[in-house]
Amino acid sequence: MSRPIDRRTTLQLLGAGALAAPYIVRPKPAWAQSKTLNITTYDKFLPQEFVDQFQKDTGIQVNIRLTDDQGKQYNLLAAEGANPSTDMVTVAGHRYSQFIASDLLQPVDTGKIPNWKNLNPAYQDAPWARVNDNLWGLPILAGYEGLAVNTQYVKDPQSWEVMFDPQYKGLTSYIVSDFMTITMQYLGHDGDFVTYTDKPEMAQKATNEARDFLIKHKDMVRKYYDAGSEVQQMFINEDIHLAHSWSGPAAKLIADGHPIKLSVPKEGTFGFVYTLNIVNNAPNAENAYKFIDAILASPEVGASMTRQSGFASTMAGVADVLTEVERAATTLPQDQVERIVFFSSVNRDMKNEMIDKATAEVKAA
Amino acid sequence: MATDTITQRVANRDLAIPRYSTRISRIVNARPYRSTIGAAVATHRGRMILLAAPPLVWLIALHIGPIYQMLKISLLSSYPLQHGQAATFTLDNYAVFFSESLYFSPLIRSFIYATAATATTLVVVYPVAYYVAKIVKPSSRSKALLLLLLPFWAGELIRTFAIIMLLANRGAANVFLRDLGIIDRPIPMLYTPFSLGFGLVYLVSLYMLLPLYSAIDKIPNHLLDAAADLGAGPFTRFRRIILPLSRDGIVSGCCLVFLTTIGVFATPMLIGGPTTVLFPETISGFFHGASDRWPVGAAFALIMLVTALTTAGIFMRLVGGKSTKLM
Repeated sequence: MSRPIDRRTTLQLLGAGALAAPYIVRPKPAWAQSKTLNITTYDKFLPQEFVDQFQKDTGIQVNIRLTDDQGKQYNLLAAEGANPSTDMVTVAGHRYSQFIASDLLQPVDTGKIPNWKNLNPAYQDAPWARVNDNLWGLPILAGYEGLAVNTQYVKDPQSWEVMFDPQYKGLTSYIVSDFMTITMQYLGHDGDFVTYTDKPEMAQKATNEARDFLIKHKDMVRKYYDAGSEVQQMFINEDIHLAHSWSGPAAKLIADGHPIKLSVPKEGTFGFVYTLNIVNNAPNAENAYKFIDAILASPEVGASMTRQSGFASTMAGVADVLTEVERAATTLPQDQVERIVFFSSVNRDMKNEMIDKATAEVKAA
Repeated sequence: MATDTITQRVANRDLAIPRYSTRISRIVNARPYRSTIGAAVATHRGRMILLAAPPLVWLIALHIGPIYQMLKISLLSSYPLQHGQAATFTLDNYAVFFSESLYFSPLIRSFIYATAATATTLVVVYPVAYYVAKIVKPSSRSKALLLLLLPFWAGELIRTFAIIMLLANRGAANVFLRDLGIIDRPIPMLYTPFSLGFGLVYLVSLYMLLPLYSAIDKIPNHLLDAAADLGAGPFTRFRRIILPLSRDGIVSGCCLVFLTTIGVFATPMLIGGPTTVLFPETISGFFHGASDRWPVGAAFALIMLVTALTTAGIFMRLVGGKSTKLM
């Protein structure tokens, strides 16, 4: 006959559980590498076939958490502090310096990445990528804020002015915060705030002018969107005829055969690079290095990323692997390439604060 | 020992013998109960505490806890804190709302949409609930309810995308009208106040249907028959009997729909237009905008919570009568 569980046994079991709990739930120290790698990235950035092959070759289990917003990644890392639940994040150029300044990333030791040489030389030690004498991530994809039009309805626009042309009333769309910077450029101001360092009055005046301009032309807009998939969907459903769009989603539509054209108008635009970064205190940093090295091992991986996301690859030799249609979708004429200025890391706090407030004002109006 | 029951053990300690129903008595005298809860807590009060603990923990950890955390963040000068950074307590985050008039518009807009959606849902769903509760044969009632609940088995996002496919320029509605020759160019229905209103009503109608059905189902049919025998017409029967007796269902349904609608986030983002930006979207901007102002977002969220609960409370008191408890 088995011994009945009496009160003493119950209390003993509870006590033992309570004592054991801290050992069971305590976080593993950084040196305790497991066969796991946790990555936070955008949908369609990391090709599944590549991830499967990496897992097979290394025995490292890759867990991917999707994000659609830089703020969500930033907030998660900031909230988790010294015990991050993700080893790698995907940072967009305009937030790169913010992540670094907040001590959320660790510098990349390129000595641990034998295939670093396979990165396009333009990105291996780019001025924007080197902050505090360190490189902070692997550039994987490059894009820009472009003007996308449905060629059945809009013919070869040369200026951002077309976004305010009354004949397209209710047929345009944009991400308010992104388009605010472009509107500032269109109105003759510095949309990236680099020249407004220590000149908050001038910056505020320029921001307010762009804000008021967008509010005045609010009737041009069909929808303010947030994710690339939304603008793709609106073009496919013909809810809009033209839009400000990141190059990736628009290029993907072009590659898929939709009548879309992407260009950089004469007033110029901003470019950005997505980097795959190792998080500060990442528990599986060594696995992250192996993953970065595997990405750079073959241009096929970069080509898959471009095919899936529509953004241009940063890896050498990818253009030779892409088809003619895919190359055409992700390539601009040289004169338009020269109109792209990459987002700076200067004066970000002022820019973020003023643009965020103006964005809320445009939406609320 | 066969006679070793909880009641005997309690009696041996000169404590009051708890009176249980036969079924409960069977449970408390069973070996699994005696060897676990009964063994851990010997007194009636102790057992009550033990039994109440799970729901209390649930309520505190999953409902009050997050709101408390939000309240705490709303009073901090900065959050999330960076390495080595310290935060102080402040009311400045609440002051942002009252000092900047631009934030009033989305809040007022949210209230207008929530009120309109609640009223529309009531008008649309009431006849449906009445039909199922009183007209459909009792044997078919479960099937009718099941049929109405079927769309709600899909998630909110899936139903929202269904609305997009229905109302887009190349969506089902425009294609149908064009095929009939009624229009030659699409009517812009999506990303408008109409699409948002339509979407909200569609998404929350379940919260109105169930309380209304439950209330109307309880109205005795003989009351309606007696009123008809005494010469009351359909409208009089509705006004004098059905409406007053279904008041509890109306109050519950309206409060559920109003409180759900005012906090809805994803649907307005996906099917709303440039003139339909609601307060939850404004709040979210503080959480994932580049300048990351969580404390202001938390303060705004609490302002919305308090305002919405107050409105629902006033509504319950006005429509539900003095006997209705607000909280």
